[in-house]
Amino acid sequence: MRIVRALVLAALAAVAGYLLLFGGRTGAGPGRGRVVVRYWEKWTGKEAEQMMQIVDDFNNTVGKEKGIYVQYLSMSNVNQKTLVATAAGVPPDVAGLWDTQVAQFAAIDAVEPLDDLAARHGITADYYKPVYWEGCRYDGRLWALVSTPAAVALHYNKRLFLERAKELRAAGLDPDRPPRTLDELDRYATALDTFTELPGGKKQIARSGYLPMEPGWYLAYTGYWFGADLYDEKTGRLKLDDPKMVRAFEWVKNYSVRLGKDSMTEFRSGFGQFASSQNPFLVGTVAMEQQGPWMANYIENLKPSMNRWRFPKEKEKGLPLASRQANYEWGAAPFPAADPALGDVTVAPFDTLMIPKGARHKEEAFEFIAYVNRQDVSEKLNALHCKNSPLRKVSDAFLRSHPNPYIAVFERLATSPNARGVPPVPIWPEVADELGVAAQRVYLLEAEPAQALADAQKRLQEKLDEFRKRQRIRAGGERE
Amino acid sequence: MTRAERYRLANGLAFLSPWLVGFVVFLLVPVVLSFYYSFCDYSLLQAPAFIGGGNYRELAADPVFWKSLTNTLVYAAMALPAGLLVSLGLALLLNQRVPGQSVYRTIIFLPSLVPTVASAMLWLWLFNAKLGLINTLLETAPFRAAIGGLNGLLGLLRLPPLQTPIGWLTDPTWALPALALMSLWGVGHTVVIYLAGLQDVPRELYESAELDGAGAWRRLRNVTIPMISPVIFFNLIMAIIGTLQVFAVPYIMTGGGPARATYFFTMYLYDNAFTYLKMGYASAMAWIQLLLVLALTAVAFWSSKRWVHYQSK
Repeated sequence: MRIVRALVLAALAAVAGYLLLFGGRTGAGPGRGRVVVRYWEKWTGKEAEQMMQIVDDFNNTVGKEKGIYVQYLSMSNVNQKTLVATAAGVPPDVAGLWDTQVAQFAAIDAVEPLDDLAARHGITADYYKPVYWEGCRYDGRLWALVSTPAAVALHYNKRLFLERAKELRAAGLDPDRPPRTLDELDRYATALDTFTELPGGKKQIARSGYLPMEPGWYLAYTGYWFGADLYDEKTGRLKLDDPKMVRAFEWVKNYSVRLGKDSMTEFRSGFGQFASSQNPFLVGTVAMEQQGPWMANYIENLKPSMNRWRFPKEKEKGLPLASRQANYEWGAAPFPAADPALGDVTVAPFDTLMIPKGARHKEEAFEFIAYVNRQDVSEKLNALHCKNSPLRKVSDAFLRSHPNPYIAVFERLATSPNARGVPPVPIWPEVADELGVAAQRVYLLEAEPAQALADAQKRLQEKLDEFRKRQRIRAGGERE
Repeated sequence: MTRAERYRLANGLAFLSPWLVGFVVFLLVPVVLSFYYSFCDYSLLQAPAFIGGGNYRELAADPVFWKSLTNTLVYAAMALPAGLLVSLGLALLLNQRVPGQSVYRTIIFLPSLVPTVASAMLWLWLFNAKLGLINTLLETAPFRAAIGGLNGLLGLLRLPPLQTPIGWLTDPTWALPALALMSLWGVGHTVVIYLAGLQDVPRELYESAELDGAGAWRRLRNVTIPMISPVIFFNLIMAIIGTLQVFAVPYIMTGGGPARATYFFTMYLYDNAFTYLKMGYASAMAWIQLLLVLALTAVAFWSSKRWVHYQSK
């Protein structure tokens, strides 16, 4: 028995010894002899593969030349994992986070400022589209750069417009173009709505022209199309109950009132997931919606026939843009603003690259971030991800060969002075959640817009004031 | 202590050490630290700054904290008795000696083996207002007639009629009851514990009750329930802990919506810790939750003197 035990122990010791001597460790693999930059990113699937192409390009060119090797790791909940790893003192060198985290992470000292590094690489405000550059800044400093940006536009189904041409014309609307004012959008929506008559005379929504809550990702920012500001940076006060915001939420509420809250809720419960072939825009149960430039990719993957409406894809090659656009069952245009004087209003969200506090290889990490922001590289990545460019300078080739035939619309929107991003509020994720709940209360007719927004304003302003007070206590300037 | 005793002690500690180290490092230290952090402003990245009772004061004035606490207590008030009664009822049925008894037992236990995410996805479809099986059933003639009758009664009581189709997860009125209904899906474990308890009831008690002329209901009330009261008590304590910590299913199915109708205490705690990066605030919430569970458990223990009967006594 003793012999058996000794043998088992010896075998375990041998395995442990082998793993200690020859097991995996940092520095092994293709990056041997180079500085290994650990890069954590949120993307999975195709988007991860496309970013891997950029990482491979870097490792085979600039990385090889400068002795840097980028190790790409794709993961879920990257923001939480980055934060925990940073707190533990073992952060990644580069983290691919969201724009909503710039102010939040900067305010709690979770990321490194990038001003000096960016200036040394010639990346300045002039290099970027203003909306993205401003979104990377907080409290007068630069904390992030952009990997892939976007701009939100109206997407409309041309086939459904043609099917309802008679009704649209009867309403004095042109079925061959998208709406240009918010009033027009409401009238288009009404003309495109269709209903099924149920036994007993009850009407059920069969198709909706437009629903503010589908997909509803940008409901918190609806006020932008009404000229509202969500935050006053000078006074540090939120402006969630601004009269323009109230008007915006009144507009959202009107859709529930017009279609009937219960009918609308029942109708929406039949919708499939966004990234599925049951997506309501793809199956034609919603004729218009707010989406980013990535929609072209989703359509290509989930319902390619919408990108081959008139002729096979091969015939598109070499055609002028207007002829290419005619082959798409859908179109994209600026989402109309309430005030016609407000031209090209959009929300411009983006994905960021940041260097967490305490990263071991800051200089090398920024070499990679700067590489991703090189015009040719940025255009390659954003064409692959089907997004617009964050940079001021955009090549003709990018516009010509982009998989989204409406990319010029998104470029125009992102460059617009009315392009708006996430306000620089350090507790923005909490504000966005509260605005989302306020919007739900409004469209479920649980609260009047003014009340829902006043409640949100009161609660969030108190939270923001408390956050600032605690930061001051932390800095030693005030006592609790 | 002799040499042999020291040797035995060292051996015992050595064998105990994996658990002991795990307990101290992964439970005791975090619990103690979380108590300290509940009095701090702490975002993980910055060193915790002591702010006294600041987090507790902020919680007292936070309407979302109260909303999440109310939701949790209302859910517990629905799911806890429903779970205990349904599982006891099922256990009593499954305890009957009928052909295929083991098959029925397996069928009742099977849902407990389905992973949480899979169950949540399944119920999302069952509860779907437009395409769901539940609403489809409610549209059939017998149910329509029953709903018609119910609405007539509600009309007499001047209450609003039941509207169909029901927006189980999309209507703030129905979302919480829907989740409580779904919680019955996982009663298999509780049923197994009840079954074990039921099989422990001495046969002679039933026989003497029968000789005294007790019918089925009297036997259940005066023999079965008292004899399995320790098991009911155990299940009650576990249910209090479980329902007050409900998280995964509503997180997947509703995300706390619509309009925070299913936003539970643990979800708000999680959001504060990992989305809003307020570890101090979240720690204060965790301690309030612990005190709440302890208080309700203490009440259950206090009341148990009156209704829990142990065989040895």
